[in-house]
Order: sequence, then C-alpha cells, then structure tokens
Amino acid sequence: MSQTEKIRQLPEYIELTRARKKIIWPLSTAIIVAYFALILTIAFSPKTLGNPIGDGVTSIGVVMGLGIILLCLVITGIYVYYANHVLEPLTRAIVQKADAIESGESQ
Amino acid sequence: MKIKILLAFIISSITTLAYAETATPSGAKGSAIIMFLGFVLITLGITFWAARRTKTTSDFYAAGGGITGFQNGLAIAGDYMSAASFLGIAGLVYTSGFDGLIYAIGFLVGWPIVLLLIAEPLRNLGKYTFADVASFRLQQKPIRILAASGSLVTVIFYLIAQLVGAGKLIELLFGLPYTVAVIIVGVLMTLYVTFGGMLATTWVQLTKAILLLSGASLMAFLVMSQFAFSFENMFAAAVSVHAKGDAIMAPGALLTDPISAISLGIALMFGTAGLPHILMRFFTVSDAVQARRSVFYATGFIGYFYILTFIIGFGAIVLLLKDNNYFADGKLIGGSNMAAIHLAHALGGDMLLGFISAVAFATILAVVSGLTLAGSSAISHDLYATLVLKGNSDEKKEIRASRIATVCLGIIAVLLGIVFEKQNVAFMVGLAFCVAASANFPILLLSMYWRKLTTRGAVIGGAAGLLTAVILVFIGPTVWVDAFGFEKAIFPYKYPAIFSVTTAFVGIWIFSLLDNSAGAKAEEAAFDAQFVRSQTGIGASVAKTH
Repeated sequence: MSQTEKIRQLPEYIELTRARKKIIWPLSTAIIVAYFALILTIAFSPKTLGNPIGDGVTSIGVVMGLGIILLCLVITGIYVYYANHVLEPLTRAIVQKADAIESGESQ
Repeated sequence: MKIKILLAFIISSITTLAYAETATPSGAKGSAIIMFLGFVLITLGITFWAARRTKTTSDFYAAGGGITGFQNGLAIAGDYMSAASFLGIAGLVYTSGFDGLIYAIGFLVGWPIVLLLIAEPLRNLGKYTFADVASFRLQQKPIRILAASGSLVTVIFYLIAQLVGAGKLIELLFGLPYTVAVIIVGVLMTLYVTFGGMLATTWVQLTKAILLLSGASLMAFLVMSQFAFSFENMFAAAVSVHAKGDAIMAPGALLTDPISAISLGIALMFGTAGLPHILMRFFTVSDAVQARRSVFYATGFIGYFYILTFIIGFGAIVLLLKDNNYFADGKLIGGSNMAAIHLAHALGGDMLLGFISAVAFATILAVVSGLTLAGSSAISHDLYATLVLKGNSDEKKEIRASRIATVCLGIIAVLLGIVFEKQNVAFMVGLAFCVAASANFPILLLSMYWRKLTTRGAVIGGAAGLLTAVILVFIGPTVWVDAFGFEKAIFPYKYPAIFSVTTAFVGIWIFSLLDNSAGAKAEEAAFDAQFVRSQTGIGASVAKTH
C-alpha cells in the first residue's frame, strides 16, 4: 500500500477532509449568495436599493453594501478560528503519523 | 552592518527633506515633490538592501519564504490597495455615489473565496507560481504555457490601469507631460524589480500599506468629524449638494443593463482568486497556517480601507462641490480620479496634499512592481525554465531571464499606458479581473478539486476562456470604439465575464470527460496523492525561515 493510501485511511485524515468540507462549502455559499443577491438586485431592480431605510436618506443599498463588507470579515474570521482550533490539530496528527509511516518504510 | 547603513541612509534623507521642506517656498507642488522624492529614496534604499540579500531563486520569487502571516497580510493588502482602489473608487463615489461601493464590495468578496478554497491548498502544493500547482499532476509543458499566458495577459491589463493612474497623478501634481510621467514610473518599477525581486517588493508593500492606511484613516476621520461622526448626516449633506440628488444613494449609470451587472459581479468575485501577483504572495510564507492568517489580516485591512475610501468619496462630494478652487470650466481639475487628492488639500492644506499624493504615487509604484514581478516570473520560471532550459533548472540563468523579462514588460507597459491614456482606471482593473476569472481561476479551482480534470480539458477549456475574454474585450466598446474609434462595438457589453467564464468551465468539463487517453487515466489516478498533499502539506517543499 502506498504512503498516500495509508494516509487516506488514517481516521484523522478522514475526519480532516470531512471537517474541512463541512466548513468551506457552507461559508463559500453564504458569501456567494449574499453578493449575488446584491448584484441581481442591481441588475433587475436597481431602484429598490435607493429606498431609504427609516426617515433619512441612508438607503437600503448602502446598508446592504456595508453589510457585505462586514460579512466578508465575519466569514474569514469564523474560518480562521475554526481552522486553527479544529483543522490544525488534525493536520498535525496526520503529519506525525505520516512521518512514522515513512520512517517505518525506510528501515 | 547593512541595516545600519540603511538606517543612516533613511535618517539622513529625512533630515534633508525636513530641511528642504522649510527652505522651499510653501506651495502644493513644493511639498508634494519633497514627499515624493523622499519616498522614492527610501524605497530605493530598501531595494538596495534586499538586492544584497537576494541570492537564490527562492529569495527572488518568494522572499525566501520567511515572511510572517501578519507581514504578508499587510503586503497582500498593499498589493491590492492599488491606485484604482484609492483614486478610482473615491472618484466613482464622488461622481455617482453608490456605484463606487459596487466596485469596493466586488474587490473584497473575492477574499473569502480565496481563503476558503484556494490559499491553503495552493501553499501546500506549490513553489513559486500557480502554474506549479496546475501542472502538479497534469503535463508540465502545455499547462505551463497556458498558465503563463493567462498570467501575462492579466498582468498587462492591470499594469496599464496602474500606469494610466500614475501618469495622470504625476501630470497633475508636477506639471510634467503625461508621456514623461509614464516613462518615469516605468523606469522606477523596472529598477525595483530587477534588483530586488520579491524581497524588495514585499518590504516596499509593507511600508506603503502602513502609509496608505494611516493617510486614508486620517482623511476619513477629518471628514467624519465634520458630520458629528454620523453617516446619516454625511449622506444627507451629500444628497443636498450633489447634482444627482438622492440618486447617488442607488445604483446609477455604471451598470445600465443586467448582463453587464452580472458579468462585473462574476469577474470581481472570481478574478481575485486568479490574480497571479496575489497568488504569488502565498509562497512567501512558510506554511499553510501562515497563508491562512495572511488572508485574514489582508481581508481586514482591505475591508477597512474600502470603508475609508467610501467615506472619502462622500467627503469629496460635500467639501469639493461648494469650493470653486478645485474646478476649472465647471470640471474637477485633473478629472474625477483626482477627487481624493483635492479632498486632502481641502481637509489639511498643502502638507496633507503632499503626503497623500506621495502615498498615492507610492501605492502605484509598489503595485506595478509586484505585478511586474509576477509577470516576469511567469516568463522566466514557467516559459523559459520549461521550454528553453527544458527543466534543467539553472538558478543563475533563470534569474537573469527574469531580469530581462522585467525590462521587456516595463517597456510594453509604458507603451500601452501611453496608448490607453483616456481609459478609466477602475474599469481597466475590472478587465484584468475578468481575464483572471476566465483564464486562471477555472483551471486553478478544478485542478485542486476535480478528479477528472485532464491536460486536454484544461488546455482547451482554459485557452477558450482566455481567448473569449480577450476577443470580446477587443471587439467590445473599450477597444473597438474608445481606442480604435469605430462607431459601434461588435460586442455590446463592456465586461465579457459571464460568457468567457462559462466558456472556460464548460470547455474544461466537456473535453476532460471526452478524454479517454492513457495520460488522462494516469492524471486521474494521481489525484489522490495531490489531494492528500493539498490538504495536509505532507511532501511540500518547506520554505526555510533561516
């Protein structure tokens, strides 16, 4: 069995790929949906975005826009926190075991 | 020792400048010129220092891999906060309010995608350029040629935008002819890159990012202080003085049809992940952890910066429109791209004007240096090393080829910068994003995540995406009408991304599935090993932190 195959069968590796999928696809979808919601509104109903929020002149579009900028920060923040606390320990465990596999093979 | 010399150099130039400042008769041009020369001297010093430390190809392309996540985040932000971002977005906000925000958001939303899908696997798989990654399990030669071509076209579009911005700024500030201004920028950027490589551009980016963030923060603070730190007050004041009234709070003239809006959205969101000079920055850090951190910091800096730019644009509406000094014949002097520069004068007089101009110029110079380096490494590392040296790597020859390529790119960029003088800078950057999203992004994404990708599929689909993007821009309004002077464009939309990105993905998908060759089977079989490495970093060449 090749080293790749051995790593792929490690429980930590299976957990790592599962845990990564679980975080990256929902977060990517969230930012794509939020952004294209704005883009499609600009494309098909630009006037909607000009409506003021409340009594002043601050419009829905400006609030949505600034909201998306904040969402970018929130999403990257969530991912980096999750990656450092969940993905990183798993990766370290895999690297250690892989080193053991490799030194076992070379002996 | 070298650091001492550098420090002595910097201190002496600052004292000289401070002296010159008091000696020069006060005037916008005087202080701006002094600030500008000071920055040029300091960055040349950095380059000189870096050049003495640049010994290997790894130093030259990837700064030896010893940059930390925070430093790299600042450098990425530095690469990204270009003339188009600062001058272009502030100018767009000044002209039509909300439209500027569309670009600002678009330039930012690519970052979560880069972080979630691209940065870590890229760092785990690659060495210097994204072609290294794409050719990991596919055939080296055709993939490298294609990836290098995509990178080069992107870099050239981006360079034109920056050089036009720089030329206009210098023309306005120093009264030099536009052509001379563009040539000066071209020579300076060639010097930086030729002698210093990535190490120098990384430090230039860091210095500049800090200066730009502080300058923009100061301006935004001064603007907000006039409105009791209330956005509502600022918007209300802007609506009351702007000719378009409350229309500036909604999408306006920028995107007049749905196809253009969606196309721009696609280009901006997925273009970031295909920009070669940004991708290169993930190889300057030691591992995937630092790559991840640097994207987080970069997103923070860039998001903050765009909010500042938005405030600066609105500040310009309120403060400039009521002051005739900034207008000649009813038009803003130097065009709307100079709104941020004039606002600096309105807020803080000649000193702030000088500072912001120097920072804006430095921004452009640093960005073009990073771009040129990415372009020259596509030529030397991907084309020259693969095709001419045929994989027999020879570091000295490769670095020399890279330096020659830098000089050639500098000349091409200057010539095109002169040809495209009249183009809008933010828009030209949008085109660079469009090419990156069509040519580089599909191959990069699919090579890392799609098992069935084959060389044939990647080459045909990628080339189709690249060609579609370039041809549609060529026969579209920008080149066909604006540059060639024809009356009507053959292709009616300014941004072709919706067509070219689709072409690339569909082409890659169909031709990969149709590929039943033995090579295709081997490439499919190699996916597991590649995927394991992209996830864990096992087997990746670890950059040293010596």
